[in-house]
Amino acid sequence: MIKRLRLIIVSIICFLLFVFAATKTNNLEANISLVTTQKKFIAGKPIALQFKSNSTLATARLFIIHSYGKTILQGKNQEGKLTFKIPPIYSLKTGQVSWYLIQNEKVTDTGNFEVLPNNTTPTLLENYLGPNTILTGKEHYTMMVAIPTDSYDNPKADNTTVFIKDQFLENITVSTQKTASFIAWKNIYSRTKSGKMLVSTQCENTSSKEFETELNPSIATDFTVGFSRNHEFADGNQITKLETSKIKDQFGNLVGDGTLVIFQVITKNNMLLKTFAATINGVAIAQLLHPDHAETYNVKAYITGIAESNLIQITYKPLLSNFTYQFSEKNRKITVGPLKSFMKQIVPDGIKTELKIFHNGKLLETKNVETNKGYATFNLLAAFYKKPTYQFEITTLGITKKTETKNYEAN
Amino acid sequence: MKLINNRNLYKAAFFTCFILISIFTVSGMAKILDFLNTGADRGGMLRLATESEDIYLPKVNWTKLENPARKMEKNTLGKLERDYLFSWYVKNTALQNNDYKGIDDYYTLNTRQNLYRTIKHNKSQNIAIENTTLKHFPELEFYSEDGQLVVFTDKNVIEYQKVYQNKQLVTTIQDTTTYKVMMLLEDGFWRVRHFQKMEAAAFAKDTVRAKPMYTIKNNVILKNGTPFTIKGINYYPKNSAWDTFGDLFNKDTIARDFDIIKKANLNSIRIFIQYDDFGKAKVLAEKLEKLKILLDLAQSKKLEVIVTLFDFYSDYSLDSWTLTHRHAEQIVNTFKDHKAIIAWDLKNEPNLDFENRGKENVLSWLDHIATVIKENDPNHLITIGWSNSVEATHLAKQMDFISYHFYNDNTHLEYETNTLMKSTNKPVVISEFGVPSYGGMWNFWEGSVTKQAAYHKKMQAIFKKNDFAFMSWTLYDFPQVPDQVAGKWPWQKLRQKRFGFIDIHGNKKPAFLYINH
Repeated sequence: MIKRLRLIIVSIICFLLFVFAATKTNNLEANISLVTTQKKFIAGKPIALQFKSNSTLATARLFIIHSYGKTILQGKNQEGKLTFKIPPIYSLKTGQVSWYLIQNEKVTDTGNFEVLPNNTTPTLLENYLGPNTILTGKEHYTMMVAIPTDSYDNPKADNTTVFIKDQFLENITVSTQKTASFIAWKNIYSRTKSGKMLVSTQCENTSSKEFETELNPSIATDFTVGFSRNHEFADGNQITKLETSKIKDQFGNLVGDGTLVIFQVITKNNMLLKTFAATINGVAIAQLLHPDHAETYNVKAYITGIAESNLIQITYKPLLSNFTYQFSEKNRKITVGPLKSFMKQIVPDGIKTELKIFHNGKLLETKNVETNKGYATFNLLAAFYKKPTYQFEITTLGITKKTETKNYEAN
Repeated sequence: MKLINNRNLYKAAFFTCFILISIFTVSGMAKILDFLNTGADRGGMLRLATESEDIYLPKVNWTKLENPARKMEKNTLGKLERDYLFSWYVKNTALQNNDYKGIDDYYTLNTRQNLYRTIKHNKSQNIAIENTTLKHFPELEFYSEDGQLVVFTDKNVIEYQKVYQNKQLVTTIQDTTTYKVMMLLEDGFWRVRHFQKMEAAAFAKDTVRAKPMYTIKNNVILKNGTPFTIKGINYYPKNSAWDTFGDLFNKDTIARDFDIIKKANLNSIRIFIQYDDFGKAKVLAEKLEKLKILLDLAQSKKLEVIVTLFDFYSDYSLDSWTLTHRHAEQIVNTFKDHKAIIAWDLKNEPNLDFENRGKENVLSWLDHIATVIKENDPNHLITIGWSNSVEATHLAKQMDFISYHFYNDNTHLEYETNTLMKSTNKPVVISEFGVPSYGGMWNFWEGSVTKQAAYHKKMQAIFKKNDFAFMSWTLYDFPQVPDQVAGKWPWQKLRQKRFGFIDIHGNKKPAFLYINH
């Protein structure tokens, strides 16, 4: 019985020893070293790293860091050879790949290799042109940036040649640029004429589409302003047209349509009037109503902060030199007119007529009416005008007349 | 005729059905209408600047902004940097959780496919990778005339990663890599268009020269070249325990306390900075101001200060690393030339987090914090206040001196301290020790003020004999102690309130005689 027990104990001890030894040897880090000498690979081609080991059992994992990710690979030990296949997602993209060989949570070896762009695949070109509108003139430019890549969207190696071409009118320019930091670029300078410039690029056999840049005229230069009108009388009815000369930039290009011109008018009494117009084909036309009294306008036009015109003077002659008025209905109705214009014609309707009412030299009220068929009529109702005497001052078309004092009956 | 018959039952059933159907229809329609009225906020379409919390703040230092094209505007650079860091953040989170969240915001159409493929592959292999980057040194290569395209080289990015497969940690790896990056401005976001890993460049030499007042020679701390033994005390003002820099901060109170400490012939104090209280990743200026007042006071009273950082903080996950780095950086950078500081204590008793937070996590976090502090402040010493002498050997190599807290029976003091000194070959400071004078029903009337005095008498005798550096716990008894410190139960709290040499009424306890030797 004891013998049997002893046998059991011995066998258990043997087993435990074996297990202990086995775990101990498994825990030992095997000597694993890199066999693959190739350090540079081409994108799209399969990549495998091979290691050799002094043990035919040892396994290890490989941690890799790539531009677009990190992962762990499990190695396979085939008779002392340990092979790690880099997944295709990592072998497609260029850049340096670092690897760390891990055995039992410890990094036992590290290294790196590089994936290069695949030049045998068709080249792809990505282009950015901007700004896409520039002004004419020597200091303005637009920038063309070209990023040539291989078919896997990997930027080409530095010093890849890219042709950058531009066309303006009959001139075509081709320049050669080398890539650096993914890109080849060029500043394309503006010309003195406005218009459209086309830009394109080419790398190896791949050409880009055409890109457009608008060359807009530069800022306006000084211009002149003129006027035209139906007649020179201040009838408050006709319109005077103010017109600029063709506004151009310093290179003779018409400024863009819609350039805003401000016409500033200073009257005899130093009042300031303004009117605005936008250019069409370089010309801005503004309109101004004739005054209703003799007047002199000083006109100057501006493109704010950019350009200005000469100063011109416009003079308006009075429409009439005198007018008549009558009192009727016990002086309670005042009729002004008939107002006759420069050809003895009746003035247009709507001429402003003003009546100032005084009592004992004190201004009580000012009334305004507009003429109708040459007449302006004022009614002084007894209910409102109760004073025994009134005196009046009538103004129309810039002429003022004072009446004598009139007596009124009380009701 | 009975009331309950077939006919009436049918009627009732029919009627109930009708009501139920009506209720379902109405509530169903309401649900549909409700659903149609929900959705994204219309303002979201405009993609106006999004307010973001600080979630990822590695150190970024643009070493070069000159480029052959357009001049970089400060505003654009800020936006670019923010979006670039977000691109790292979403990539890190994607690799950690194997999901696609946020990737389409920070990577262009073509580029995001590469990440999607990586994530898909890792997901199928059950691989998860926790990442953080610690430092970026980008150099601008190109900024296009229309302001829509940039190329830059991000030199020597320090990446730290923990690799998991089948939820088991495979390894942790720190590496340094250079990346060349092209970004495009799309829909108001700077998005990564090309991203290429390159060989790391040589590091620029550090030109900052340290001007330390304290140095270490073998087992001894030297002050301006002569040996200096720390004889100190842990300090909180009486009424703001664990909240030195809170609302009750008062210069006069602190000045009076410093006078008491100085009169007791002590030469140093140990104070604590709470991570949240100081403003987390964006340290509050007002708190720095208060800290400066305290340090200036200490300097005027000739007291040296050990400043303990990261109190009440225990998040060691990689996600928060960069935030804690910025926190430490701002504080130590502000006071790198302050004469009152002997040392930065990285964290109080971090070994208590080993169990819950993972020993490896805690240690690697401490290791990196040590680097950050040394880089920003080469003038002061660093240490970690371990809660016992056994754990105090962790990271000993990185520390200038070793500190540990002794709350065991005082017969072991000599043995523990001497063993530690021998094994690490560095100066050792017992940066906390003490007993409470509390005797009540919760500890069977065990403690008393006389017992406390006897304990300190014995301790001081041992310190004197061996010339040990010590810092006792603590100057005051506290009327209030926050729950986070010892726990919320009365037997935990009451004990914690009575460690002081001075009671809550301001009277010196018998132990005060033995505050020093």
